Amino acid sequence: MNSLTYKLIAKDFQQHRLLIAGTIAIGLVSLLVAGGGTTLLFNLGMLCWLTAIAAYGCVVAMLGIATERKERSLLFVLSLPLGYGDYVRLKLVGLMLCFFVPWAVLTAGAVVLVLAAQGMPDGILPFTILLCGFLLTNFSMVLSCALFARSEGVMTLSIIVHNIAISIFIFLIGPIPAFRDHLQDPAPTWGSEFWTVLAVEGAVFVVICSLPYFVAARRRDFI
Amino acid sequence: MTPQNHIELRSVRKAFRYFTLDDLTLDLPPGQIMGFVGPNGAGKSTTIRLAMGLIAPDAGEVRLLGHAMPEHQAIAKRDVAFVSDDMKLFPHATVGWHMNFIASIYPGWDATYAATLVKRFNLKPEQPVKGLSHGEHVKALLLLSLARRPRVLILDEPTSGLDPVARHELLSEFMDVLRDDSRSILFSSHNTVDVERISDRITFIDRGRLVDSRDKEDFLERWRRIQLQLEPGAVLPELPNIVGRVADGSFVTLTTNRFSTALIEQLGSAVREVHRMSLEEIFVASVFHHREVAGS
Repeated sequence: MNSLTYKLIAKDFQQHRLLIAGTIAIGLVSLLVAGGGTTLLFNLGMLCWLTAIAAYGCVVAMLGIATERKERSLLFVLSLPLGYGDYVRLKLVGLMLCFFVPWAVLTAGAVVLVLAAQGMPDGILPFTILLCGFLLTNFSMVLSCALFARSEGVMTLSIIVHNIAISIFIFLIGPIPAFRDHLQDPAPTWGSEFWTVLAVEGAVFVVICSLPYFVAARRRDFI
Repeated sequence: MTPQNHIELRSVRKAFRYFTLDDLTLDLPPGQIMGFVGPNGAGKSTTIRLAMGLIAPDAGEVRLLGHAMPEHQAIAKRDVAFVSDDMKLFPHATVGWHMNFIASIYPGWDATYAATLVKRFNLKPEQPVKGLSHGEHVKALLLLSLARRPRVLILDEPTSGLDPVARHELLSEFMDVLRDDSRSILFSSHNTVDVERISDRITFIDRGRLVDSRDKEDFLERWRRIQLQLEPGAVLPELPNIVGRVADGSFVTLTTNRFSTALIEQLGSAVREVHRMSLEEIFVASVFHHREVAGS
């Protein structure tokens, strides 16, 4: 990556800094609520925490790529000494970084909450980590779609799929006995199922993130 | 290919669903301002986007400063500034932020000239882009383009939607840029008044095809409108190079694209007046003639 690419990544980060700070703040407050000691507060807090990360991911992909295209700032960016590959790379790295910072803080916050909160079983930790991993992979899907999509319809569809996917993940992974049966355990169980799901998440993340290099970056017409 | 040309398009074809740019060959040598004129939907923006490497040709060859496009666009665009009427800066950043950003990318950024342009265009560096009017936005884009001192300036309808005063200011700046005769401008517009004012070469395009391309003075010298009054019963002979003929009783108006004194001598005493044509009149006559020939 050249210096222009770094400058544009820094621009994306600067542009989203308030959004990043806001998401971290909302997420941390949600975690405080979740650690309130009752089931109601836990459910409410975790729902807000989950929504903050997921919604932020959609907004970043929309603002960073789709809106830039819609508002014709993309034409300005492409007038600079960049190739298509450079643009795809800078958007992928820049917006991933914009997502990664609040995601990492809020993932760490959730881990601390599980380990430190009185009355909260540590057995929930593996599922929490898998959920966080899924949120990162799910964001990479929206980001890649934003790089492929040329219409608002496709972008909207990817956001709908993104949101539904979270519910599907919870309903598919949650009932697996290796996780369900250990949620109330005082200590986390790191079984083979945990590592398998984590590996699948990692593999899907790598595949989705590399797709734009093979498709979007090789487009003959970029605008 | 001539290596010194800043922009070269050779037999370029680009097909879309409802429009095809076909067999386009175009050269922009250094130090030249080329006015690229065509009606709406003629293919001006498509040609410019091909030249900038934003889209790839289906056939033919595109070179910008000698670099094959779009493959080597990152290198070529180091010395090229591009402004389009539908291009937008980052809305949440200020004009000053954009100036610093562009200055950090282009080593040739002329801070003194940029400060002069800020004053001349009455821009406020601290103002966010989203608060700029259309005219101010275009001026900011041009400031960012001109102050980097590019070798090639590509402008796609830059004066579209501007008031006459703003247009005058911008056109004056283009003339200033051309004081350095190694620079060149490709200036697309359907406003022939602007084009006539600053261009030294003009290219007409219509329905995806090149209609004509030559020096401005050549256009103005070759095209004439000749008014005749024929004697009762007289028949006008078949004449070469007549591209338009309008008859109203005994009065006939001919349009020629190869005016010569020999033609006037041939028409004899029937000639009442000979008018020079404005670029707009030449453009319209040229486009209609091209369509007529293409349709036949």
